Amino acid sequence: MALAEETAIELGTMPEAAEALAEIRAMVQPCIQCGTCTGSCPNEFAMDLTPRHMWRLVLLGRTEDVLASRTFSLCSACYMCTLRCPRGLPLTEAIGRLKQLAAPRHLPHLRSGDLFYRNFIDSVRRHGRVREMEFMSLYFAQMMNPWLPLRYAGMGMRLMRRGKVALQLPSRGSGRLAKLFEKVAEMENRP
Amino acid sequence: MKKKIGKALVVGAGIAGIRSALDLAETGYGVVLIDKAEHIGGVLSQLDYQFPTNHCGMCRMLPLVERDAGSQFCLRKGLFHENIEILLGTRVTAIAGEPGRFTVNLRTRPTWVDPRRCTGCGACVPMCPVEVPDAFNAGLGRRKAIYLPVPHQVPNAYTIDPAACTRCGACVEACPCGAITLSTAERKDFRILVVDDEAIVRQSLQSWLEDEGFAVDGAASGPEALAALEKIEYRLMLSDIKMTGMDGVELLRQAKTLRPDLAVVLMTAYATVETAVEAMKLGAMDYLIKPFDPDTLIPMVARVHEELLAANDRQVEVGAIVLAGGTDYFDPHQQAVNPYGYGRIPAVVTSLEFERIVSGSGPSAGRLVRPHDGRPIRKIAWLQCVGSRDIQCGADFCSSICCMYAVKEAMLAKERGGGDLQAAIFYMDMRCFGKSFQRYRDRAETEGVRFERGRIHSVIPAPDSGDPALRFVAVDGTVREETFDLVVLAVGQRPARGTAELARMADLPLNPWGFLATSPLSAVRTERPGIVAGGSFAGLRDIGESVIFASAASAEAARVLHGAGGSLAAAESEATEYRDVSRQPPRVLVAVCTCGDRILPQSERRQWIGRLKRDPVVQETIFIDRICTAEGWQTLADAVTARQPNRVLIGACHPYVFTRRLRELGRLTKLHPALMDVVDLLGPRMAVTAENVDPAGASDDLPRRLAMAAARLQGTCRPQVEAMPVSRRALVVGGGIAGMTAALSIADCGYPVDLVETGDRLGGNLQWIGQTLDGHDLRRLLEETAARVGKHPKITIHTNTRVRGAFGEVGHFYSTLEGADGGVQTLEHAAAVLATGGGEAVTTAYGFGTHPAIFTQKGFQEALDAGRLAPAALNTVVMIQCVGSREEPRNFCSRVCCPTAIKQALALKKDNPEATVVVLYRDMMTYGFAETYFTRARREGVVFVAYRLEDKPKVAVAGPERPVTVTVTDPVLGRPLTVDADAVVLATGIAPGLPADLAAAYGAVLDQDGFLTEAESKWRPVDSLREGIFACGLALGPRNVEESIATAAAAAQRALRILEHERLPAAHLTAVVRHSLCARCGRCIEACPYEARRLDEELDRVLVNPAMCQGCGACEAVCPNGAAVLNGLSMPQMFGMLDQALG
Repeated sequence: MALAEETAIELGTMPEAAEALAEIRAMVQPCIQCGTCTGSCPNEFAMDLTPRHMWRLVLLGRTEDVLASRTFSLCSACYMCTLRCPRGLPLTEAIGRLKQLAAPRHLPHLRSGDLFYRNFIDSVRRHGRVREMEFMSLYFAQMMNPWLPLRYAGMGMRLMRRGKVALQLPSRGSGRLAKLFEKVAEMENRP
Repeated sequence: MKKKIGKALVVGAGIAGIRSALDLAETGYGVVLIDKAEHIGGVLSQLDYQFPTNHCGMCRMLPLVERDAGSQFCLRKGLFHENIEILLGTRVTAIAGEPGRFTVNLRTRPTWVDPRRCTGCGACVPMCPVEVPDAFNAGLGRRKAIYLPVPHQVPNAYTIDPAACTRCGACVEACPCGAITLSTAERKDFRILVVDDEAIVRQSLQSWLEDEGFAVDGAASGPEALAALEKIEYRLMLSDIKMTGMDGVELLRQAKTLRPDLAVVLMTAYATVETAVEAMKLGAMDYLIKPFDPDTLIPMVARVHEELLAANDRQVEVGAIVLAGGTDYFDPHQQAVNPYGYGRIPAVVTSLEFERIVSGSGPSAGRLVRPHDGRPIRKIAWLQCVGSRDIQCGADFCSSICCMYAVKEAMLAKERGGGDLQAAIFYMDMRCFGKSFQRYRDRAETEGVRFERGRIHSVIPAPDSGDPALRFVAVDGTVREETFDLVVLAVGQRPARGTAELARMADLPLNPWGFLATSPLSAVRTERPGIVAGGSFAGLRDIGESVIFASAASAEAARVLHGAGGSLAAAESEATEYRDVSRQPPRVLVAVCTCGDRILPQSERRQWIGRLKRDPVVQETIFIDRICTAEGWQTLADAVTARQPNRVLIGACHPYVFTRRLRELGRLTKLHPALMDVVDLLGPRMAVTAENVDPAGASDDLPRRLAMAAARLQGTCRPQVEAMPVSRRALVVGGGIAGMTAALSIADCGYPVDLVETGDRLGGNLQWIGQTLDGHDLRRLLEETAARVGKHPKITIHTNTRVRGAFGEVGHFYSTLEGADGGVQTLEHAAAVLATGGGEAVTTAYGFGTHPAIFTQKGFQEALDAGRLAPAALNTVVMIQCVGSREEPRNFCSRVCCPTAIKQALALKKDNPEATVVVLYRDMMTYGFAETYFTRARREGVVFVAYRLEDKPKVAVAGPERPVTVTVTDPVLGRPLTVDADAVVLATGIAPGLPADLAAAYGAVLDQDGFLTEAESKWRPVDSLREGIFACGLALGPRNVEESIATAAAAAQRALRILEHERLPAAHLTAVVRHSLCARCGRCIEACPYEARRLDEELDRVLVNPAMCQGCGACEAVCPNGAAVLNGLSMPQMFGMLDQALG
């Protein structure tokens, strides 16, 4: 099966991804393309593909097209679509699996989100909580975009004025969550 | 000797129950017809308009053969047949026995209003202080606690809602007839025990119930409750299920051993409903789902109270039981989440509520205004699949009816609201799979109904107006918002409330969807012979299908009754020798029922006598108190015997119940019942408002009405029509499964059948289909059925034989059969069933015939079965639906192709899980339970792509060894999708096999697609326009095997109605020809809608077949010479009546 007028990546360039996608596809196979998910999605306005469009690509096994979109990365896991899907499909969970599938690939169009999440969770791991200023500083540094901090400057000022965040320097931290993370990683790798 | 019982019980008096009851009654069996509601008609009493005519037409179901056995009366108002006993407000409480001899316990709810005394005057209504939502208007209006269940019902007796009634007694005082007796049972003597381990629940229940006057105690645990039960005699226990220590189910068990009569209602959380249902098997009466409020609790307790105290039980012995309990509708409140805001946004209504809004008897008298604010409705949206095709609310099925009723409602709204009314239907698949449905849907689209593909997920009130606003994804993928005046939720069907209970009593299982389980491939038979399912009780069916399945159920019931030796109901012993009064001048005896002094006060009698004496035909006027009583009737009989009048006119109430009594009177007095008439002296008050119920006020009118009837009676003469003899054999044309089933159904009731098949063996399409979607083996069915047919002593099989010609009329047709050797024989028979079947339509579309890998569905199946195709070698299969179907000229849905595609796809996936199967469809017609298999196919990974009629898939063939390339536009992606297929399967649909000349020989008419035209698609779905000719299976329309079998049984049942008669009795009201006045112009022949008239060229006379004439009077109206006369309604009689009306 092929999509005509193809402009994206050729089919089969990521065979291991296609296999992973098959699992996700099995989760949503009873989909009837009714569009309830799209109509329910609060973030749909920002997505390049509507959720229905994306699920259709999943059903057709179009891994590259799915991974090339930002749709799944914009899901805020509100579970509205899962709640309303007439087929009772685990859509939010399937999106989570898509995010997991995409993360190790470091896809360029998802880089910003990837780094954001990664730095957030690293901060938690180090300190046992989020240290906002440190986490944002590292994020800005890795994004290597000098203009980016300006976009957040206004919000940062307001938060500082209200005492929600304080100036902090990166540190090794004293959190004790690292073991927890290691344990989880160990459990997940377990056969 | 075993007593013979020729009687059946029909449970449920909706349209299917009425059909079953009438079928059995017309075949001569006695019927007890019960319904738990206070009215007949079921949900149809609330639905005024049916498509495709957008009218009613229910009366077409009335008996055609022995018309005088029932009143020819609007079926919405009432049903009167001498073999049918109707018990309303009645339910089954126990079933015991075996086929042919069941003992059924029936419990009738006390009504408190004596229907024999209530005249429906309505004087009680203004007095009643209680107002509750009106169930008849789907809760849109309000009614009092004393009310008419259906405003147009006849007899129109009021009834009291025990749950709402406060027993104030105001109505008792207001009733002029003394018809009301309120229950004297005191609530304070009704002790209730509330068991719950939460004190707050106990206390609130206690206070709610005590407010209603019940005596209530509480117990905090099972043991505490048992201790209390030992001491005090409780009548009802309300118990929680989940309690620490002893749970509710265990408590129920122990309490039942302690006090077997104790009524127990369990209270359960949503999650443990199944436990509660299980507990009902242990003897719990009902259950309540927590949380509940007093409005749920109190009516239930009141109901239990009434039932226990005033239970009116009765046992009936019947040979067979037809369960026609119908279905219920999904309640949008019930949805785990209520995304459509039903109940919160006032302009969101259910489809049933919309039916009431457009109904003339509805809350706005048919004006299209919103019920809550009276604003005119200009823009309406229908949301489909509410409570259907939704696994989230337990509905892995399609309700089958909602698409079409939504289209009908949209058409009605357009008709009412004019051209600028906007109607939009939001759907997933438009399932218009019935015979004329696709064209009806197309017509709706041409008339401006908007069809929008997409499912609406939620309705929110618009911020400014509060009107319902929809947010949806359009086909092009854009998200849009739109506000409407009214949103109609097309609610789906659910198993009828009480289905599980009834099934338990009958010891029958339910199917996975909660409906009654029926035997494979029968849909009416159950595990227990003698208990059958009719109508939509075992599935999801529309009116026409329900009627078919009801008739099929009665055929099965008749078979059991016959097999058990059930004699027919007592036939009229011997023909009565009536007095010949034709040469006497008319002398009318008028007998007026005074009904106490209610109809006629003593003072006015003289005045009445004087008024009636003005017409010299009135011999005498006598007054009888309560003519309906045995004494009253005897007084009348004595008067007739003594005075020897030659016409009798009775002034009383409820004239339709007199049919049988007039026959008795005729036997007693030797006066033909056609010379008697009954005038309703109380009826018109139905229309009189409660304020002017002064009997004297209307009394001027009453003697005039009697005088009119006397004038009519004067011109009535005893019908001179003879009963037509019946040659009691049947002919079945076509030896497929439908033909064989029809032949067996008739032969099993003891009548000889000739089964004609053009091929050399029986079986038809079953020879290739193999199995059904749900996996039933059709080859075995074929073998078993063919074996039974072959062995049946009453069936003569003619293979390799054609029907060459036929003529005749109901009761005696003559058909000429031609064998393969050219031998010709003529058969005489009373009725014919056309089961000529059909086949797969041929096509040249999509490159069929140009490549070996392009198949039709049948060819594909045969290739797989014969091993010419190996599933393992098929990596990619594309199935294209609706090939040459659902577009002109074959603009109908064949309804079997989508399920067949799914069946084949699932089979492929089973044999070769790696195979890619792509189904290209327009609307998946997996109606009813087939939806489950649609879901399964998706789950198995079958890919479904919807295509549009304007953008059909393209098939490109490169060469015989190369795969076939199919290109289709994916509607979601909006891009073309190409598939290289190893096999392309085309669903070409069904082409009928009924030759036009054969149909014409029997006077049947074919429709534009070559199927037989039914007499009426909903009410007489297996009858042809000509009485005595029936059709079933594919000859009638596209159907699957199970449905074809049902139509066959239904057609057989219709034929049995005729075969059961030695002679076809003509009704009193029958047209005759005055040959001396007749000019043989033939206008009456054209005008007759029943084809009862023909020109006999040898006699040079127009003849009327009295058994076919239905007394409509069309001939009398068109005849220029007054030669066509309707006996009993002739022109002089009409003028006489007018004179009296004006005089």
